[in-house]
Amino acid sequence: MVQLRPRASRAPASASAMVDEGQPASEEAAEHGLLLGQPSSGAAAEPLEEDEEGDDEDDEAPEELTFASAQAEAKEEERRVRDTVRRDKTLLKEKRKRREELFIEQKKRKLLPDTILEKLTTASQTNLKKSPGKLKEVNLQKKNEDFEKGSDSKKAKVQKVQTVGQNKSYLALRLKDQDLRDSRQQAAKAFIQNCLYGPGTNRTTVNKFLSLENKRLPVKKAAAQFLNHAWGSQKKQNAKRFKRRWMVRKMKASKK
Amino acid sequence: MGEFKVHRVRFFNYVPSGIRCVAYNDQSNRLAVSRTDGTVEIYNLSANYFQEKFFPGHESRATEALCWAKGQRLFSAGLNGEIIEYDLQALNIKYAMDAFGGPIWSMAASPSGSQLLVGCEDGSVKLFQVTPEKIQFERNFDRQKSRILSLSWHPSGTHVAAGSIDYISVFDVKSGSAIHKMLVDRQYMGVSKRKCIIWGVAFLSDGTVISVDSAGKVQFWDSATGTLVKNHLIANADVQSIAVSDQEDSFVVGTAEGTVFHFQLVSVTSNSSEKQWVRTKPFQHHTHDVRAVAHSPTALISGGTDTHLVIRPLMEKVEVKNYDAALRKITFPHRRLVSCAKKRQLLLFQFAHHLELWRLGSTVATGKNGDTLPLSKDADHLLHLKAKGPENIICSCISPCGSWIAYSTTSRFFLYRLNHEHDNISLQRVSKMPAFLRSALQILFSEDSTKLFVASNQGSLHVIRLLEGSFKHLHTFQPQSGTVESMCLLAVSPDGNWLAASGTSAGVHVYSVKHLKLHCTVPAYNFPVTALAIAPNTNNLVIAHSDQQVFEYSIPDKQYTEWSRTIQKQGFHHLWLQRDTPITHISFHPKRPMHILLHDAYMFCIIDKSLPLPNDKTLLYNPLPPTNESDVIRRRTAHAFKISKIYKPLLFMELLDERTLVAVERPLDDIIAQLPPPIKKKKFGT
Repeated sequence: MVQLRPRASRAPASASAMVDEGQPASEEAAEHGLLLGQPSSGAAAEPLEEDEEGDDEDDEAPEELTFASAQAEAKEEERRVRDTVRRDKTLLKEKRKRREELFIEQKKRKLLPDTILEKLTTASQTNLKKSPGKLKEVNLQKKNEDFEKGSDSKKAKVQKVQTVGQNKSYLALRLKDQDLRDSRQQAAKAFIQNCLYGPGTNRTTVNKFLSLENKRLPVKKAAAQFLNHAWGSQKKQNAKRFKRRWMVRKMKASKK
Repeated sequence: MGEFKVHRVRFFNYVPSGIRCVAYNDQSNRLAVSRTDGTVEIYNLSANYFQEKFFPGHESRATEALCWAKGQRLFSAGLNGEIIEYDLQALNIKYAMDAFGGPIWSMAASPSGSQLLVGCEDGSVKLFQVTPEKIQFERNFDRQKSRILSLSWHPSGTHVAAGSIDYISVFDVKSGSAIHKMLVDRQYMGVSKRKCIIWGVAFLSDGTVISVDSAGKVQFWDSATGTLVKNHLIANADVQSIAVSDQEDSFVVGTAEGTVFHFQLVSVTSNSSEKQWVRTKPFQHHTHDVRAVAHSPTALISGGTDTHLVIRPLMEKVEVKNYDAALRKITFPHRRLVSCAKKRQLLLFQFAHHLELWRLGSTVATGKNGDTLPLSKDADHLLHLKAKGPENIICSCISPCGSWIAYSTTSRFFLYRLNHEHDNISLQRVSKMPAFLRSALQILFSEDSTKLFVASNQGSLHVIRLLEGSFKHLHTFQPQSGTVESMCLLAVSPDGNWLAASGTSAGVHVYSVKHLKLHCTVPAYNFPVTALAIAPNTNNLVIAHSDQQVFEYSIPDKQYTEWSRTIQKQGFHHLWLQRDTPITHISFHPKRPMHILLHDAYMFCIIDKSLPLPNDKTLLYNPLPPTNESDVIRRRTAHAFKISKIYKPLLFMELLDERTLVAVERPLDDIIAQLPPPIKKKKFGT
């Protein structure tokens, strides 16, 4: 059931009627559609009349709205919606821009000063012969800590990139490259290990390999590594310890 | 000769690392061998297959490819993504250049030697230009889907074959694009879930590409059309390496079962011109995977996980059929890895990343010749000293009194002071060693342990005086005339006056330690020196060369001794000259100046200079005949060279005092027991 609003007068729309605009658009469109459609059958006209009659307060005839005005209102509506969306977007953009700038500021503060970065780029262009022997690794670690003003540096393997400046008293290092390189090297080693010794390869232990001949002799001999010296190592250790303690006790007892 | 008690030491747990790549250089007849721990060794094949140079390894360097480029330059590439050039004069690494392609799996030098091609993990093939100082990146070829595991240039330098996983690509060098992509079957006549890895490719000048893969196949492809011509199944396991000779009429492949196959181009019938490739000879000299093979003009060279380097001369290529055409198997090191502190009966063993100090056991029993005496006190493992850093130890030494230990890696030098209290020891490191001592090739202490002599790889010799807890640098002997020649071996006289140092090419220099200047130079000999020692009292310098010649030079007189001239005139016994392994240590008896004790891997010999020399007709190896033989026969067969083969394989032999010898043996079975697993062999009945 369509919800009916208080009936507007036929006179040019008053201020009060202007307030709820959301509904008139839809209902006018609906009425308009009915007017246009004009089946004008009794069935279509009936409910209208019923509603009208049901409405005691407002006994006036439904207002007549032209197509143009309805279109104008619809257009107004759309424009307003578009405006709000645009305003929202610009506001968001502003916010994002401000945030970006803030981040860049922070990063700049964290990075090395410009002068040293300049030196780095110029040094990379010149062809400096890398002489690993000139710089001791001990000094390298210390200088690295002094250099990276408080940013946490991993103690694990650092990678020398190039020497900076003429005074070779410190080195510039990139730590994240080393992790990437290590992981790739590990992956490569794992690949080779899998190809040669992984599942599907027909490998056997050295003991079995060397004992093959012993098995085919006319007088069968034992395997090449017949004794397993690693068996029961914990037991043997315990036994040794116990023996030592027992000896000490015996000595003490015999002295008394 | 006298009676000796011999300490037979078998607790040196020496395991060499497996051979990964082999590269043969035709012009200088040298072989570069790289091992799995990163060591690169250079063998001089014309100097009786002696290892003349080596570059110590590094933990992060996993070498996967080795090649020679123009002008005798050696390059290696590995899984750390870097291309390393080695400086063969100064014995250090010139530079390491990152290829920026991830781990490098293969490398090949162009036939002209001026370009270098590198196959990387990410599927890219990179071309480098070899400039006089460095190498320079030129361009990338088309990137492939999977890692490039093997590369080969066409002899004209226009095309390149690259083997990857499940396919082989043929590239055109000028454009860098892949012309053909040849798909390889995963299994000979069948399907398989395991991917087929192309371990090696070889490009012949008629456009044939030979590929060996992990399914055990050797396949011949036509690179013009990109099709398979012939397929051979030769093994049940991977075929891991291939090498073609220069004339392209034979090639050799190595399999994971340890077999090496020789393929030759033979004519179909005896007088037809049509030829085909036929598998002619199998060789089974290895027990584990053969990961590297090389083809020299006269020999097949193979090396693998079982750490032997096998050089098999081909009978049809050898001109003179003498002992040179025999199989050579290099297993034991050509340098000394054990040092001995005689007074305290301590032995220092050098491993790749640590040192071990042992005290010898003792016995109170006595017996006759040939008895095994029971130990009353076992050998004691006193110290396990781990080296700092990822680099391998180059050399180490313990002072004769047993209170100083020194060792050197490429970047640092370490000196430790040992204090012995009763049966315990304590170690104290001497800090702040000077930088010029690093990368030492040989370290030696003087007899009274007051001086330390260090031979660096730049050619200079440093003399350091050792004080109670510190040291003082006395002098440095610089190399002469601006040549950079690394000093490989050192010897000091027992009275501390003379120091002998041998380089790689010029003769042996003798320096006077008292006056700190060069005394004289022994004339250069064209074979490298393998062992040096100075005799007590007489100050005769005994030099052993790699062709098994032994010279004796008198330092005070500055000339060869009479005995040395006599034996050079007569010549050594032919069996003495045919020994395989070089003499690695010479020592002397303190009370018998006529005796020289020397050993190699399979025998030890006491040369008695007072006895007559053997000529070619006498028996060289004559163990003591039983006592019931007449004296006449004994006198007739006695000669100067008393050889004993009881203890073998010997790594070190030294005279501890007048009646004791120590022999460090390393049975081959103990080495094999610690190798990685081999391929299973199915034998009927087991």
